[in-house]
Amino acid sequence: MLSKMKTTAAAAAVASAFAVPASAELTGDLSIFLDTSNPAPRATMEAMIDRFKAEHPGLNVETTVIDREAYKTQIRNFLTANAPDVATWYAANRMRPYVEAGLFEDVSDLYAEPEIAEGLASTKGALTIDDKQWGVAYTYYQWGVYYRKDIFAELGLSEPTNWEEEKANCGKIVASGRACYTIGTKYLWTAGGWFDYLNMRTNGFDFHMDLAAGNVSWEDDRVKQTFMNWKELIDMGGFIADHQTYSWQEALPFMVNGEAASYLMGNFAVAPLREAGLTDDQLDFYQFPVINPEVALSEDAPTDTFHIPANAKNKEAAREFLRFATSPAEQTIINNGKNLGQLPVNAASSVDDDKFLQMGFEMLSNNSTGGVAQFWDRDAPAEMAKVSMEGFQEFMVKPDQMDKILAKLERARGRIYK
Amino acid sequence: MFPKPIEKQSQAAQVAYKSLLPVALAFWLAPLLAVALFSVKPDADFTSGNYWGLPSSFEGAANYGQVFFNSDMPRYLLNSFMITVPTVIGAVALSAMTGFALGIYKFRANLWIFFMFVAGNFVPFQILMVPVRDLTLELGLYNTKTGLVLFHVAFQTGFCTLFMRNFIRALPFELIEAARVEGVSEWRIFWYVVLPLMKPALAALSVLIFTFIWNDYFWAVVLTQGIESQPVTAGITSFNAQFRAAYHLMSAGSIVAALPPVAMFFLMQRHFIAGLTLGAVK
Repeated sequence: MLSKMKTTAAAAAVASAFAVPASAELTGDLSIFLDTSNPAPRATMEAMIDRFKAEHPGLNVETTVIDREAYKTQIRNFLTANAPDVATWYAANRMRPYVEAGLFEDVSDLYAEPEIAEGLASTKGALTIDDKQWGVAYTYYQWGVYYRKDIFAELGLSEPTNWEEEKANCGKIVASGRACYTIGTKYLWTAGGWFDYLNMRTNGFDFHMDLAAGNVSWEDDRVKQTFMNWKELIDMGGFIADHQTYSWQEALPFMVNGEAASYLMGNFAVAPLREAGLTDDQLDFYQFPVINPEVALSEDAPTDTFHIPANAKNKEAAREFLRFATSPAEQTIINNGKNLGQLPVNAASSVDDDKFLQMGFEMLSNNSTGGVAQFWDRDAPAEMAKVSMEGFQEFMVKPDQMDKILAKLERARGRIYK
Repeated sequence: MFPKPIEKQSQAAQVAYKSLLPVALAFWLAPLLAVALFSVKPDADFTSGNYWGLPSSFEGAANYGQVFFNSDMPRYLLNSFMITVPTVIGAVALSAMTGFALGIYKFRANLWIFFMFVAGNFVPFQILMVPVRDLTLELGLYNTKTGLVLFHVAFQTGFCTLFMRNFIRALPFELIEAARVEGVSEWRIFWYVVLPLMKPALAALSVLIFTFIWNDYFWAVVLTQGIESQPVTAGITSFNAQFRAAYHLMSAGSIVAALPPVAMFFLMQRHFIAGLTLGAVK
């Protein structure tokens, strides 16, 4: 499998080397700021930049890697004072403040090029504000329900496709002495994932985004319906006990030891589950089931992006770098199992042989017509995300306090959005 | 004498003491033992919930190998030494001199200056976070080892001066008078009379400051950012990936990072205990 990957990658690299357009030779300096500070992603990005350098020997590329957390506080500063030519960031609401402050360059012209228009269609929505595009994605990953196939087989269950099946399945799992879902809400965001899916399935993507943008009351009946659906699972004992004391990693053993049957999580959960001994025969994946058949399916797929700061000096070279990073060949290489192990954003690139990446790519390309969300703590403003995720956690522990919690979130909405 | 020696207690109290002590010890050391145990476990043991059991496979060599040969730990350890050693030298040297001045000379503001040194210890250092960060930024010392060393020296000198001054006060003043009668200059009195007598105090203080600075996490995080300047306490999180905390590697790294102060303490134990009591009891 690996050697096959390598040959594809090599072939793709050769193909791209021949496909270099005979555009004018790029010169000058190109400064790139990266937040991929962890060793593996860092190596991937640096290797990609080296390949870019090899194609443009006349260009002096300078790469600065900044610690991922520190980057989040420094970005506003360097975008205004000392802008690089290319900077990493996140899609959707997380880029909105910089777009509105005029700090990101409008790159709609790139999306007008046929190759990019076709290749990057799946993430275009996440990079669009006011009908213009403000950057390109370079990687993303799916969310969904990872489950123990062997437990499902033992209980005679099949993958649920709607809410009734979901609840019937959960009833049987609980009756067998297990929890349906493991979750660790100590750091709150995992509960945000549940809220994303329940609300998107109950009220649809557009409503969900309106709520994130502060346009809808938290005491709206539609929001209450989301929480009522959630409450059904909580009341039947669907989630593991004491989840508020676990991190997401500490919640994994319940799944590994068969005390819980599934986990709503991002694709990064697969690696530790496999390392703990679960084989692909025991572990499988399904898309979060339909709740309200009238709304289109939409998914969480957090997207990492490249942007050109408005104050960049070498925008021509920066655009070329964006083209390069999103090209099918580069996308195939940087997202394969040996590198980022995530999903390529370009539809023309090939996905790693991995079963879960294949299913995720298929799901996001074909079965997420409602839209692609970036995850609650990226879609909602930071302050609202924090308050609301605390509320979700409290709700999961004390579901009878729903009205009180929603009233509190509504007060927070009045204060935060102004 | 307080506390009353255990042999003089009642029989029941002695039995209770002897049986409870190991239990308390086990509880006390449980987190440390867990870290030690985790450092030889594979990552999968965390995911499968094997927190306290035997390792499913012995990965000690692999984990420690990763720490030493396949991570930035050696660099962080070096940074720690390059921050700690100058700080110990700087703080101890300065406080030996201030202690001498405040302990030997009688001048009007003596006590007030001494109080100023001591008062620094009563300031909760967390409230200095923002001003100190701004100061180092203005001085161009932000994210440098020098900045961290200078700050530590400045801040530790207060406590060290208290320690040294009291120690020097306890020395027989006749020695200094005798030297003065002989016409020895003040500098030479400090160097040839007082300093040799202070050896136990110097050793004790060095060990103490070494462990303080080595284990500092707060200022390391506030004043430094990257591999070029961060000490090991702050660098240990570099084992974490974007989504996952690598507990097995962090455990192995923590054990390695904890070794120098422990070694220092055991090597200097004799001086340490002697020095502390010498400084405290008149």
